[in-house]
Amino acid sequence: MSLENNQQVGPSAPPPHLRVAGIEKRFGGVHALKGVDFEVARGEVMALVGDNGAGKSTLMKVLAGALVCDGGDFFIDEEPVVISNPHDAGALGIQIVYQDLALCENLDVAANLSLGAEPVKSGWPFLPRFLRPLDDLEMEVRAKAAIDRLQVRTLRSVRAKVGGLSGGQRQAIAIARAVGAECSVVMLDEPTAALGVAQTRQVLDVVKRLRDTGHAVVYISHNMRDIFEVSDRICVLRHGANVATWKTSETTADEIVVAMTAGLDSGTNNAA
Amino acid sequence: MQPDTSFSPIDRLRRMRETRLGSFVPVLLALAAIWVYFGLALPLWDFWSDPDAGSIRFIFLSPRNIYNLFMQSAVIATLAVGITVVLLLGEIDLSAAATAGVCAALLGVLVLAGIPGWAACLIVMAVGVIMGAAQGLLIAYVGIPSFVVTLAGLLGYQGLMQKILPTGNLNIGDPFVRAIARILIPDLWGLVMAGLLVLAIAALALRRQAERKARGLELDTNATLWGQVAFFAIIVFAAVLTMNAYRSVPLLIILLTGVTAIVGWVSTSTPFGRSIFAVGGNAESARRVGMNVRRIRVVAFGIVGLLAAIGGIFGASRYGSVSYTAFAGGSLLLESIGAAVIGGTSLFGGRGSVWNAILGALVIGSLGNGLDLSGASAADKLMFSGAILLLAVAIDALSRPAGNGAR
Repeated sequence: MSLENNQQVGPSAPPPHLRVAGIEKRFGGVHALKGVDFEVARGEVMALVGDNGAGKSTLMKVLAGALVCDGGDFFIDEEPVVISNPHDAGALGIQIVYQDLALCENLDVAANLSLGAEPVKSGWPFLPRFLRPLDDLEMEVRAKAAIDRLQVRTLRSVRAKVGGLSGGQRQAIAIARAVGAECSVVMLDEPTAALGVAQTRQVLDVVKRLRDTGHAVVYISHNMRDIFEVSDRICVLRHGANVATWKTSETTADEIVVAMTAGLDSGTNNAA
Repeated sequence: MQPDTSFSPIDRLRRMRETRLGSFVPVLLALAAIWVYFGLALPLWDFWSDPDAGSIRFIFLSPRNIYNLFMQSAVIATLAVGITVVLLLGEIDLSAAATAGVCAALLGVLVLAGIPGWAACLIVMAVGVIMGAAQGLLIAYVGIPSFVVTLAGLLGYQGLMQKILPTGNLNIGDPFVRAIARILIPDLWGLVMAGLLVLAIAALALRRQAERKARGLELDTNATLWGQVAFFAIIVFAAVLTMNAYRSVPLLIILLTGVTAIVGWVSTSTPFGRSIFAVGGNAESARRVGMNVRRIRVVAFGIVGLLAAIGGIFGASRYGSVSYTAFAGGSLLLESIGAAVIGGTSLFGGRGSVWNAILGALVIGSLGNGLDLSGASAADKLMFSGAILLLAVAIDALSRPAGNGAR
């Protein structure tokens, strides 16, 4: 089934970095994921699309270890791995940026970027680690490096409180926090859903920047224009199962929308 | 996108409020307004409206009154510092004053039983931590809202205090306990300590600036740097000189400053303090980055318990007695919560500072003291305190950086 459905990409697809096969997930009587296959390569933006309830978020949570799947195989660089909790995913370099971002608005950019892994000054061995003085200068240096890597040009200061930043800047900071933690796979859940035109542009630039630095990016969105601008491949889910995966350059928004809403059976020109 | 308005006054105001000293400005203005009203406006009004008055009498601003003001506010300030810690988490503690009462009563009973003063102080501090942490456990692990748990704690601890003190009153004569409020630092020493403190602050600020330069980080302007040092120096020296003009700096005030400095340092400059702010700002975010939110809550309530116990010791030392009305049954609880909020600590968590709580305690203390001096009734005092509290929260809400909805 999966071979047939993936034929649109065929052998020309790049070797996957993260690959899952036959993912099953049930919530009580609801069969949320029915043997889903998914893959993403380094230096690629893989868009994950589907109607509401198609299983996008469930699949992403399974990949991030936030949900434990009922069956299926995980591979990193074709080596089988186990992802059963967020810690496993983090250790494998898989990071997720949730739609709500989970930033602390009362803290500044540098503090948010090092949250949970704050650097402390050396030389206070008699204190437990959580009471040693914070090295906030090191924090700022790291934050600057992370922001510069993503080339967020509009951000003036890493000492600005996140509460005073624009939506696009916040999204960029949430992405920078995920990327900062030694990751190879970044999953973005609707990163532009609440943003205006200029903000969206900023976030899409950050996504392209991630791809150019060799990350594997999974991009969930409803916005066809964004998807066609930023993605390399598009994976369509419907009713918890794969419909197909297309190369973005070889398909159209209409085709994707039809696949999302009606699947391939009633689609007219999906014979490729 | 952030508009580039680095020279507009509003932007400057916001930037100022985001600096550590800038957040002092509203509460300092409130304090100044109260002092000008009671210290200058009222005496002048009395002088002009009363032809028989021989001279203007500035009772409120006399060194003697300011000295008493500091001493009166010390217990409120100690509790307010603790309450600030849980407010930063977005929780509330209604039992702090009752905890202080239980600890003070226990202290009295212990020293009466012949236990040395220092040992009794350590015991009640441990008891305070346990009382606070027990409530924290219920809040964090059972999941009961802190309002309910500490309301139950308020009632329960009030009862406990009455059990310990069946007569409702106990004199404390232990020399160690009394010494906390009685010992005065000699005038010269007080000035030397103030000078050393200011020098240390200036040296730290300069070293920090040099480190920032060495690492290529953005620098504070020289005006900000020296403004902060000067601001700090003025406050320290003004306080020391005023107290010297009446008696001397009391040990109690030094202890209060020291305790506040420790709590302030922990809350702003350690990973644990950062986690308190993170949980108060966005608990879900803190959980996702791997912080143990429950343990942080328990520890924070332990800290309130500790500071409530210290407040109880300070109170017992200052009054020379423990009475039900001075702690659990009186207005101490609402005054200390009011002090924390007037200081600018948000009731919704994540914003505030323990130093502001001390200034808030001074506002509450000054208000009560000034109204007492001008012969106001207890009813007037209550209504004024309510109005000031409301005003403080309103100022906080209005001067908050525009973020929600404005962009």
